[in-house]
Amino acid sequence: MFGPLGLSLAPVIKANRGIYRWIKPFANWYVNVAGYRKLGLKYDDLLVEERDDVQRALGRLTDREAYDRSFRFKRASQASVMHIDLPKDQWTKPAEDVRYLQPHVESVAKEDNERRVWDTMAVERKK
Amino acid sequence: MLAVRASAARSASRLTRNFATVVDAAGVKVAAVDNGEPTSSVTFLFKAGSRFENKPGVAHALQNFAYKSTTKRSALATVREAELYGGVLSSSLSREYLALTAEFLRGDEPYFVDVLSSFVTDAKFTRHELQEYVAPVCAAESTVAASNPATRALELAHAIAFRNGLGASIFASEHSHVDVETIKAYASSVFGKSNLAVIGTGISQDALTKLLEKSLGSLSANAAPPSSPTSYFGGETRVDAHSGPQTVFIGFGTTGAPSAELAVLAAHLSPQPSVKWSEGLSPIAASIPKGASVQAIYLPYSDASLFGLLVQGATAEEVKIAGKAAVSALKEVGNIKAEDVKKAVAKAKFSAASTLDGRSSLASVLGSKLLSGPSASVEGIISSIEKVDASALSSAVSSLIKAKPTYVTVGDIKSLPYADELGL
Repeated sequence: MFGPLGLSLAPVIKANRGIYRWIKPFANWYVNVAGYRKLGLKYDDLLVEERDDVQRALGRLTDREAYDRSFRFKRASQASVMHIDLPKDQWTKPAEDVRYLQPHVESVAKEDNERRVWDTMAVERKK
Repeated sequence: MLAVRASAARSASRLTRNFATVVDAAGVKVAAVDNGEPTSSVTFLFKAGSRFENKPGVAHALQNFAYKSTTKRSALATVREAELYGGVLSSSLSREYLALTAEFLRGDEPYFVDVLSSFVTDAKFTRHELQEYVAPVCAAESTVAASNPATRALELAHAIAFRNGLGASIFASEHSHVDVETIKAYASSVFGKSNLAVIGTGISQDALTKLLEKSLGSLSANAAPPSSPTSYFGGETRVDAHSGPQTVFIGFGTTGAPSAELAVLAAHLSPQPSVKWSEGLSPIAASIPKGASVQAIYLPYSDASLFGLLVQGATAEEVKIAGKAAVSALKEVGNIKAEDVKKAVAKAKFSAASTLDGRSSLASVLGSKLLSGPSASVEGIISSIEKVDASALSSAVSSLIKAKPTYVTVGDIKSLPYADELGL
């Protein structure tokens, strides 16, 4: 719950075709209203990065991905300063809005969890 | 007295008779001996040294990638579990071989053989592990090697003497960037059954074979990576260095299987005394100035050898005097007395026999014999040293000196001598 990706019912919804069919239009509407795509950002650009585990995950991006992320931030910051949205051809397309950081964050969280398990393991002598 | 000394060869043969070489069903060469030690060790020896690498620095990176994540367990799990069992995992790289060694208490062999096998069969080679763990270690090792003038001189000497193949440096260059794809490709090309020798000490042959059959089943049947036969070139180079002693390496190379004559020559010239704080009986020892040192270096490989004298000193003057003494002693070997030959043969026999004592050197000696073919034998080393006499030694030295020397200076190149100033 206090992890970098927060609580999410998305896996539950995606598993159930019926619920997914009803909720997807609301999800699309929510993404449009959120407006990050109009600033040329992807969803994973919005993840809280002021955390050690997300910083480690950011260190695992390829050079190209890191550069593109910096470019998107720079472009979005400029648009924000001018209080306008980007022109429509620079909006993020739904096909481009890939969760590029989520797999890295999940593997870092898994590694941290494994380290905690090893650190707190109870060791018994073999009988 | 002579009877006692003559039994060195017999002890070596007794030791090796305890090793039964078996090609097990999986096609891997296995040798194991159990002398009742409290700990056991298993070494996987691959012909994956820096000689066989396709890009510079890949072998070094692969060595440092050992025991990182596999599909079975992560890097952290490997380390923690090995610590809980009480074992030591290590990897070492030479110009021809990559050795993965696990030392552990008796009874823990299923776990440790599984650790070694899972690195060989399904390591993950993730990009972030390369960036976070492997590359910094490679860079640190290369930096340390570059700041040590003796190591630097030897790496340069190999590069000049043998150019490609054996001339490739063991260490990655400090700023080179090898990527995971290259390492993965190199690993899949060298990790193969016919390229592997497994040596176990403190473990029985059957137990080791059974464990290997279970865990190495999925290993591909790769042969050794291709390598062109070595030729010796020689040459001279001078390199500026500001830390460490002034260093000069005077080397000569030969091609062909390593000969016992060069081992005896190294033992004859080496100023390392058998009794500490004594001057020793080497012909060089008396003429070395106080701050200087000379080491006899003999590096045999499967199809070439590099013999040389590493001269180090605090100032270039001392190095020049010591270098001249070393070269003149080398040239004097043509007139060597029979008494001195006997001394050198005894010294060489002892150092050859003592390599069979230690666990790691035994593994590398045996493994190289296993990988080089069924005809190689370990007791042959000592008996061939015994057969060296004055004429064989002087003819070996004269043919050695006739070739172009490999001359490397590391240090203050303005004042260090050139090859012809030392009499080469």
